[in-house]
Amino acid sequence: MATLAALLPNPVHAPTVSDDEEDEIVQQPQAAAPSLSIISRGVVPSYGQRAGWKPASQDDFGDGGSFPECHVAQYPLEMGKKKASSGNTLALQVDSEGNVRYDAIAHQGQRAGKIVQSQFKDLVPLQHRKDLDDEARNMERPSEDEVQATADKTRAALEKLVNGKIKAAQPKNIPDGQGKTSFIRYTPGQQNGSQGLNQRIIKMSEIVEDPLEPPRFKHKKIPRGPPSPPPPVLRSPPRKATAVEQKEWMIPPCISNWKNNKGFTIPLDKRLAADGRGLQDVHINDNFAKFSEALYIADRHAREEVRQRALMQQKVAQKEKEAKEENLRLLAQRAREERGGIAPKPTAASRAAMTSKLADYGSDSGSGSGSEAGSDDDAEDEDARQIRDQMRQEKRREREREMRMNNMGTEQRAKMLARQQNRDISEKIALGLAKPTTSKESMLDSRLFNQESLSGNFADEESYNLYDKPLFHGSTAAAAIYKARGNIEEGNEESFGGGTDEGIGKALDNDRFGLGRAKVGFEGANDQEVREGPVQFEKDTGDVFGLDQFLDEAKSGKKRGLDTEVGNSRKRRQLENAEKD
Amino acid sequence: MSTAALPPLDFVFRRATKRTRDIFASCPDEGLGDEEKSARMRLAVKINDEYRDYKQLPGPLLAKQGLIGPSAPKQLSQKMITAGPGTTDTSRLVAQIDNTPTPQPSTFTSSTQLSQALTLHKTTRTIKPTYHPPWKLSRVISGHLGWVRSVAVEPGNQWFATGAGDRVIKVWDLASGELKLSLTGHISTVRGLAVSSRHPYLFSCGEDKMVKCWDLEANKVIRHYHGHLSGVYSLSLHPTLDVLVTAGRDASARVWDMRTKAQIHVLAGHTATVADVKCQESDPQVITGSMDSTIRLWDLAAGKTMVTLTHHKKSVRALAIHPTEYSFASGSAGGNNIKKWKCPEGTFVFNFGGHNAIINTLSVNAEGVFFSGGDNGTLSLWDYDTGIAFQNMEDVPQPGSLEAEAGVFCSTFDVTGTRLITGGADKTIKVYSEQSQ
Repeated sequence: MATLAALLPNPVHAPTVSDDEEDEIVQQPQAAAPSLSIISRGVVPSYGQRAGWKPASQDDFGDGGSFPECHVAQYPLEMGKKKASSGNTLALQVDSEGNVRYDAIAHQGQRAGKIVQSQFKDLVPLQHRKDLDDEARNMERPSEDEVQATADKTRAALEKLVNGKIKAAQPKNIPDGQGKTSFIRYTPGQQNGSQGLNQRIIKMSEIVEDPLEPPRFKHKKIPRGPPSPPPPVLRSPPRKATAVEQKEWMIPPCISNWKNNKGFTIPLDKRLAADGRGLQDVHINDNFAKFSEALYIADRHAREEVRQRALMQQKVAQKEKEAKEENLRLLAQRAREERGGIAPKPTAASRAAMTSKLADYGSDSGSGSGSEAGSDDDAEDEDARQIRDQMRQEKRREREREMRMNNMGTEQRAKMLARQQNRDISEKIALGLAKPTTSKESMLDSRLFNQESLSGNFADEESYNLYDKPLFHGSTAAAAIYKARGNIEEGNEESFGGGTDEGIGKALDNDRFGLGRAKVGFEGANDQEVREGPVQFEKDTGDVFGLDQFLDEAKSGKKRGLDTEVGNSRKRRQLENAEKD
Repeated sequence: MSTAALPPLDFVFRRATKRTRDIFASCPDEGLGDEEKSARMRLAVKINDEYRDYKQLPGPLLAKQGLIGPSAPKQLSQKMITAGPGTTDTSRLVAQIDNTPTPQPSTFTSSTQLSQALTLHKTTRTIKPTYHPPWKLSRVISGHLGWVRSVAVEPGNQWFATGAGDRVIKVWDLASGELKLSLTGHISTVRGLAVSSRHPYLFSCGEDKMVKCWDLEANKVIRHYHGHLSGVYSLSLHPTLDVLVTAGRDASARVWDMRTKAQIHVLAGHTATVADVKCQESDPQVITGSMDSTIRLWDLAAGKTMVTLTHHKKSVRALAIHPTEYSFASGSAGGNNIKKWKCPEGTFVFNFGGHNAIINTLSVNAEGVFFSGGDNGTLSLWDYDTGIAFQNMEDVPQPGSLEAEAGVFCSTFDVTGTRLITGGADKTIKVYSEQSQ
């Protein structure tokens, strides 16, 4: 039967298949040609054959209801089925090879054109990938046409964006004012009985807007939408840093020699290291040593020279002194010989020598007399003797003084020196000659005076308030200065109330004679206020130079030329004077 | 008869054998060969006796190896017990004897797909690198007073500009290395420079949040692109459109219309500083590398991310787009830190392995010479097609600079691709040139 059916052509009109008959015919082509059965719509097995069969799609139900013999949840016409979007769980997906696509979640919610690399194959180098052919490995740049197409497409998209962005800056976008008016004929739709309002003409014009008006509504920032889901990470997680690595990255704390805000105890070696002094060895230039050596040598040389010179001078001085002594000795011997009467006629040479020696002692008369000794010997001798005596006396006095000086104590010598240098003024004081220097700075001690006025007002230079207060006002210094101390010392202490303010006041108040207080004192003295300091002068506001009067006159408009007689008289007087001359 | 009277027999024997050998020296000798064979046999027997149990790994170990997977291709020739370095006769003999085929581990006998794939890898990994002549330092220009952070070569190849930490942009003659111009105007480090090929404009950006457009005919600033919220770290010009892309510390890249100064897009999505941005004429037209260790490929028309590449482990500081190949490279810190990507969809191509430093800058020229400069002054030159380094150099800081100032911050090839200009932390500009014969 089966062979016959295979031989026969297919019927034009398929017979209606009943549930319970010819089930073999239906099932047989499935076994013979499985490809056909897969492509064709799934055929529902007949009743009784449905063990293990499940309705997969809506088509399986046909128009009817569920299959009670299949023990699965069935939703014919989607009736009673819950909406799939209620949860965010994804349906399990399977790729063409039957592997479960675990990366479906990474692709979920992404834009259409987005490529998400989520699989292991994306980590494999391109050469080693098996799923790609050579076409996919080709790295040719796109052709010029493609580039041009891309550029045009992008330019169009970007220009649209730019035009939107810069629209505000374009002048044609200024809203036109009230020029736009339109008239609308309006016919109400519901005319419930009223006849008068059949039609209206409405004029419509735009409200004039102030272009500078601030926006009426606050510009609210719309919060950003949720970001696109993060891409799957195709790298291994970062390794933990090993101890060695951590040590490599250890940055030593900064140690300062100047700041230690937290007050840590810092070891001395760290401090020294931070100092940086040990880091570079000090290198001193050789020239310093050379220089100091040269200086030392030059210094020694100079000292030596000075010493030599001093020695030489000393020698010269000694020689001179010896010569002088010799001279004096000669002179003395000659004098002694002359006194003895055996005066040998001095030779011309010796005389000349003697006069020159005598001239050294600075006596002109002696030398002059010596030269004229030939004419009147006696008189000359007398003179010479006198001179000699004088000289001798002087010498002796000098020697005595020297001796005294030598024997003097140190303090006395110091006094002596001071006197020589005009430093000792004790004598001057005794004589009343000494006067202290009258320097203003040293005389005035600012501490004595009104301190708050001084210190407070010297600070700012702008205010000119140096003289707006009396100098000695209400201070103790003023009281100390202003004191009637006329004859306190010689008279008794009681007179003038001891010289103090309160003493005087008391003395004035003290009504010895019981007269009571004077009703009338000196005239004009009543309205004077009680003085408690030195006499103070007030600024005279009166018209001293007649300036105010002059100004008043000028204001009143009196002309100077009007007082003619004064000017005339002066002129006349001048003329008279001229005639007299 | 006493034995003592006889001469010692040994001597006689020896003399006799010598004489025999002399007599039979001309004849082909068989006895010695026989002896060798026997010695071999003896040794083989001995080896078999003593080392039979150790010819293969013990069972559990072998099983473990099999469970893990195939051994690395290096270990394919299984280690046998072989002689030491000594060249004694016996050891050579042993080596000759032991020529039995090594038994394969069990994993290889069962031919799984994985092993097939691995053998496939071995065959596919046979691309030979092209030869590149070595590069040599040819000029050091010391003119800046701060770190040289950016460099750009003019399209006409006459001059190049550098921007530095001394807030000055300097223009140098490319041939002679002489200073042509100093441009002042930035108030902080100049981090990015670009010279337009279609306008007489120089664009600069800096840490002072400013992006400036200089007119090179008047040497004046003619435009400011205002909008960055923090320092601007990188700048790139679109090759075909009048569009400028800047990126910076505010984790965003901004697309500006060159003429109207309007901000077209804010390319937001990175979560940390965008360290580098590059433009190309076809999609993806904008590529950004960020300190959040991701690279994003952007759809410029929509202003949206096309792909996010998360392969890098550390922040991506440098990007380089090949001028003729449809690919780009990115560099970060750590190992396996330079990666090459295929362009439209960002497929991972391979790693440039071996430059263990923080990569500050990358450059590539049309001949396929790829340069990477590290933060510690290491420089590497690679073959771009295969990822094999052909030269490793050390940056020599100029005398007077600190040890730590040996970093390279920026680099670019000139238009011809024969010179490489780098700027470094030692405040100098260094020009490397190809050593042609």
